Amino acid sequence: MLDTVREIETPEGISLRLRAAGALPRAQAWMLDALLRMGVFMLAMIPLGLLGVGGNGLAMLLLFALMWAYSVACEVWLDGQTLGKRALGLRVVNADGTPVTWVPSVVRNLLRVVDVLPGVYGVGLVCTLIDPHARRLGDIVAGTMVVHAVELPAGTQVPTVAAIPPPVVLAADEQAALVEFAERSGQLTLQRQEELANLLLPLTGRRDTAAVSQLIAHANWLLGRA
Amino acid sequence: MKQERFVAMHGCEWDDLQSWFSALDRQPQRTMRQEHTLDFPQSYRRLCHQLALARGRGYSREVTDRLQRLVQQGHRVLYRPPAPRWHRVAMFLLAGFPRLVRSQWRCMTAAALLFYLPALVTLVLLQLRPELAHTVFSSAQLAQFEKMYDPGNPHIGRSSGTDLQMFGYYVMNNVSIAFRTFASGLFFGVGAIYVLAANGVLIGGVAGHLDAIGYGGPFWRFVVGHSAFELSALVIAGGAGLQLGLTLLMPGRQRRGPALVAAGWVGAQLALGAFAMLLAAAFIEAYWSSIAALPNGVKFGSGALLWLLVLGWLWRGGRERSDGA
Repeated sequence: MLDTVREIETPEGISLRLRAAGALPRAQAWMLDALLRMGVFMLAMIPLGLLGVGGNGLAMLLLFALMWAYSVACEVWLDGQTLGKRALGLRVVNADGTPVTWVPSVVRNLLRVVDVLPGVYGVGLVCTLIDPHARRLGDIVAGTMVVHAVELPAGTQVPTVAAIPPPVVLAADEQAALVEFAERSGQLTLQRQEELANLLLPLTGRRDTAAVSQLIAHANWLLGRA
Repeated sequence: MKQERFVAMHGCEWDDLQSWFSALDRQPQRTMRQEHTLDFPQSYRRLCHQLALARGRGYSREVTDRLQRLVQQGHRVLYRPPAPRWHRVAMFLLAGFPRLVRSQWRCMTAAALLFYLPALVTLVLLQLRPELAHTVFSSAQLAQFEKMYDPGNPHIGRSSGTDLQMFGYYVMNNVSIAFRTFASGLFFGVGAIYVLAANGVLIGGVAGHLDAIGYGGPFWRFVVGHSAFELSALVIAGGAGLQLGLTLLMPGRQRRGPALVAAGWVGAQLALGAFAMLLAAAFIEAYWSSIAALPNGVKFGSGALLWLLVLGWLWRGGRERSDGA
């Protein structure tokens, strides 16, 4: 259950990968939003203060909009992102991975009232820690989840060397393992590369550095390079 | 087919799609109007097919990740929510909302009882034993109520402030209460029950106390106009909270998760309807109820008319005509 990726099958028969966002980035996004809203309110108070008591009424309306409407409007119109969420690279999506719509957004933002309850988001925090997809109560009732919008950087590309065909026919998952090893070898220390490559002694018939370069050459062949 | 040949064959199309997505991010309106946009659903389907192929053939992460990213973006564009239509909002308020309220009539009746019973009991009790008012309210609160509804006050129902200021105040205050009532219903309905009963005691207490000390005239003249919208909206928000809490307790023949999602869907629509009603109530309260100079007939006549209107709307709104026309 350590993996926070949720795979969802779409009508097109492929699976979407949603990476659930945990409590910390969401709290940061919330803080940013809170600061932003406070800033807007204070700025607006300058001209409204000059209007006298009538300005007070407008200030109340503005406060209302910032408190209740801001999140819903942002999530629906800005592709599931309030400005704070955009800064942190988060996005609200429906449980099936589609962009969040009006009613679910209203539900999850109204139920903030419950999630904040004992002081600062106590219920919400406990709930995100328990839930496998890190949803707070509002998300569960609304059927939404908060995901990381930014994709992880793709593994570094396979270094190009002269291709050597593997001596035996490899199954699809074995091929995938080989290619992934080659893709990631740049991120590993030399010792770790050799340690991993030595596991494939029956395939390569070599040890240490020679085994690593042999595996990368196989990976090049698997990628269809000449 | 080897991976690199696959990429060479389709890479062009992927690049096109990628550049279309980034154009969409920058200029959504203009990009959507391009003729190229019409091809999007088809090319998205092809893309999904290619991703499935790439996965099935065990191509490297380089390709599958790239396709996966494109598919995620495409999925978001293809399944984005439809633009809101004013017609749908109007249809919801006229027909959908009353229908929804009627479909939840058990919770609505319970909420109405939870609110009106304590209000009536407090109202009657304070007529019989006026000194009980001091157990419900502090002396400062009582003094403020007496000042607000003093028959000599030219603007009844408030101690100071202009119409606009009070409008903002009523919106902020009343709608927040309604939203909290709904949301706190998630605690097995306890929150909603508490807010409903507490507000019942509060409103009944104010009415009872002012009636007992002889300020009843200005008080009833003030509240009769907006009470139809305000009290009904509070009851509806409470009922929405109750049904949410009851669903958590008794999900029926469903698992709790899906049952709660369905209840949340209903509850949010009820809360939105209550929000619209409270906007109307705040408008009436700020701009109409506070006029002291109108004769009693106009005040009570309009109040009765509004009550008839609200109840009739909730009772008949959105109903199919029985004659089949």
